[in-house]
Amino acid sequence: MRITQGCFSFLPDLNDGDIRTQVQYCIDQGWAVNIEFTDDPHPRNTYWEMWGMPMFDIKDAAAVMLEFDACRKAYGGRCYIRISGFDSTHGWEAVRISFIASRPENEPGFRMIRQQTSGRSVRYTIEPYAADRPEGDRYRA
Amino acid sequence: MNIQKPPPAEKRGRYSAGVLKYRDMGYWEPDYRPKDTDLIAVFRVTPQDGVDPVEASAAVAGESSTATWTVVWTDRLTACEKYRAKCYRIDEVPNAPGSYFAYIAYDLDLFEPGSIANLAASIIGNVFGFKPLKALRLEDMRLPVAYVKTFQGPATGIVVERERLDKFGRPLLGATVKPKLGLSGRNYGRVVYEALKGGLDFTKDDENINSQPFMHWRDRFLYCMEAVNKAEAATGEVKGTYLNVTAATMEDMYERADFAKELGSCIVMIDLVVGYTAIQSMAKWARRNDMILHLHRAGHSTYTRQKTHGVSFRVIAKWMRLAGVDHIHAGTVVGKLEGDPNTTRGYYDICRQDHNALCLEHGLFFEQDWASLNRLMPVASGGIHAGQMHQLLDLLGEDVVLQFGGGTIGHPMGIAAGATANRVALEAMVFARNAGRDIVREGPEILEKAARQCLPLKQALDTWGEVTFDYASTDTPDFVPTTTAAE
Amino acid sequence: MPSTETETDPAAAELAESIDLRRELADTRVGEVLDRLDAELIGLTPVKLRIRQIAALLLVDRVRRRVGLTSGTPTLHMSFTGNPGTGKTTVAQRMAEILHALGYLRKGHLVSVTRDDLVGQYIGHTAPKTKEVLKKAMGGVLFIDEAYYLYRPENERDYGQEAVEILLQVMENQRDDLVVILAGYTDRMDRFFRSNPGFRSRIAHHIDFPDYSDQELMAITETMMQTQNYHFSPGGAAAFRDYIAARRQQPHFANARSIRNALDRMRLRHANRHFAGGAAVSLADLSTIEAEDVLASRVFTGASRPETAR
Repeated sequence: MRITQGCFSFLPDLNDGDIRTQVQYCIDQGWAVNIEFTDDPHPRNTYWEMWGMPMFDIKDAAAVMLEFDACRKAYGGRCYIRISGFDSTHGWEAVRISFIASRPENEPGFRMIRQQTSGRSVRYTIEPYAADRPEGDRYRA
Repeated sequence: MNIQKPPPAEKRGRYSAGVLKYRDMGYWEPDYRPKDTDLIAVFRVTPQDGVDPVEASAAVAGESSTATWTVVWTDRLTACEKYRAKCYRIDEVPNAPGSYFAYIAYDLDLFEPGSIANLAASIIGNVFGFKPLKALRLEDMRLPVAYVKTFQGPATGIVVERERLDKFGRPLLGATVKPKLGLSGRNYGRVVYEALKGGLDFTKDDENINSQPFMHWRDRFLYCMEAVNKAEAATGEVKGTYLNVTAATMEDMYERADFAKELGSCIVMIDLVVGYTAIQSMAKWARRNDMILHLHRAGHSTYTRQKTHGVSFRVIAKWMRLAGVDHIHAGTVVGKLEGDPNTTRGYYDICRQDHNALCLEHGLFFEQDWASLNRLMPVASGGIHAGQMHQLLDLLGEDVVLQFGGGTIGHPMGIAAGATANRVALEAMVFARNAGRDIVREGPEILEKAARQCLPLKQALDTWGEVTFDYASTDTPDFVPTTTAAE
Repeated sequence: MPSTETETDPAAAELAESIDLRRELADTRVGEVLDRLDAELIGLTPVKLRIRQIAALLLVDRVRRRVGLTSGTPTLHMSFTGNPGTGKTTVAQRMAEILHALGYLRKGHLVSVTRDDLVGQYIGHTAPKTKEVLKKAMGGVLFIDEAYYLYRPENERDYGQEAVEILLQVMENQRDDLVVILAGYTDRMDRFFRSNPGFRSRIAHHIDFPDYSDQELMAITETMMQTQNYHFSPGGAAAFRDYIAARRQQPHFANARSIRNALDRMRLRHANRHFAGGAAVSLADLSTIEAEDVLASRVFTGASRPETAR
């Protein structure tokens, strides 16, 4: 399967040139750019690990690519890496764009557990198959 | 009421028994300067032939505030000057002889805090059937900040909705399950599953899907939530389906909403026809229960569409932002339903800006400060398809739900393929826009290039690429932008 | 699908026939920047000449790359050497604009730093600090003033070495992304380059900024005064010529910067004189610097406590 979180998951995997265009867009909007990674892609896993601090006051996407490269060197292939743009203006003060920039080669997907309860209601839980293994060990071949 | 020739006020006392002209009773005050705390309404007034527009407008002010057809001495037991609405300005409507824009100021004390029902009863309660008027339309309303602050506003708001869904940087995608009527719960859930798995964020019950013989509501809810959860597992994304909880009584609505929550739905929906009080109740329920509240504007065209009579949708949009819904259908411009681009732009601004500037060419008669009330997510729905993605993104922006019902479910290769086509078209367009492409001009080319790697999109473009709905709009702005000498 | 394709310029074949370099120059608007440099900076003739040469080289290089005679990004890192106040920062700003106009830099802004901005106070502090600065400079010019302070051979635990290593790596690997200009006193920069061959080999252009002559400094003074609506009386002008000659001999002389400081103090004395006088002043009085406003300077009074450079 392919996890389709983020705003470009239905496009072919982005290459570095593609990523640069989107990062530059964030910078030009005045947003801070943040790199995060995780090996727990559950849709409700809000807090991915931060790769350093959000980058404020930068002018060029090369700055982000420098960090993205380093993050990819450390976690590429065994974690999801996402890049997001944060808008601090009043009324937003929130993430404005977020996309997956690197993903593990093999994505086993999610197990859906149906807990039968009273009547016809079912309690649903989903969990990543990868989460069966300990953190840090989840997407190794 | 009597507009013939009552004696002028100076000849007799203001409070002597009998009939006085409205303009002489204090409802016409051309020198009045509205206070910041006044609520201001602008009406399009079309008097009967021979009726003085000033008197007609003063009558509107009177009938929507303290007046009745004759003088009553009990006025003198009140601070009646304060409670009288004051018409202070009348303009001719451009290119519409015999119609006038009447600006009327209402004191804040005339309204119960936080009650749309009271506001509506005050402003549009009686006056629309008033005999000396041929037609009357409430065009716009300036809500004082002090009054705005008495309302909850959208239960969730655009920012938190996006955070809960973990979806940023692109319009959301939805589809209304079709056919509107007749599907069993089990078949209905199939449509939901296919559409969500294929790439949509939301599916939606239609306005008239409640609890009918072919599908009772609990069945629908149960099958839909199986579909939503299965689609989440298949994609790793948060998904939702607007479960319509519209019902005959408030008790029924609460029961349905509670069940939706129990099943883990992130969103419920109601129809505009449930009424303002029920809408506000549901907005409060939604905030208490971490639920997004979708509003289908069922029925609005009966009074919003014609320019001469009724209530403009921009007023309804303002009321709904106050009332506290999170989603509202606000037009597509390019789809099958009524929607002039400029007028629609005005609605979207009302939903999404913290501060509306006066903009007559978009139909906004007043500056409006929303005092940090949550933003309301507009929904574009009705006759739109993937081939229009560049226009939709350009016209409607990013914070909008684009709903492709037919454009998803009618895909020749099935529902999931239809959903994928829409999602790929959307992501390709957002990507191209961010990368600095001119999407309005290059849109078709961007779509065509995206379709080269996505067969479902190719099929969608082949099927609907040429479909447009080009009809003249009825509800258009009365003001056109004037070019300045510098240009 | 979103990836941008590399396109071969169909005009390349045509261009190979005849290339109008003047057109190229006009198209890039580099000429405007060069003209502005000429107009706003007095003197500095050798510097301006070098800048023009570099601009010409890069312009031609750009054309050569387009028609396939060269490939790769040339090294553009530079060193600006010379005494304080000789226009290094201003020229660096213009250089950033030129490189931007020619397409060698994507943004063309200038980030000016000294050792303190790059080197940390404790272990583990330097790398993030240096990277932070580098990230801000990406797409533009990183101007490191008094670059030799980065390297302190006398202290083997100095964190500066860490900054130097990161800098060298980026200067080598991200030549497309940023240009580094190292600046400082000529002699100290020479020593710095001798002990840091890594830096020396990565610097493509060395530009030496000469001190201003007395006449040039006088012209600079007059320009500065003009923009503030002041002027010298004849006596004032003569006194200030003497001032320049005397100031140059004293410690911490900083060319144009010293002039600016002197001007600020003359304005103070001028204001004070009129204030103390108490009489009504004319419009002319308000804008004329007299000899006495100049001559009260410590530069003429034995200079027991020389003014600082700033």
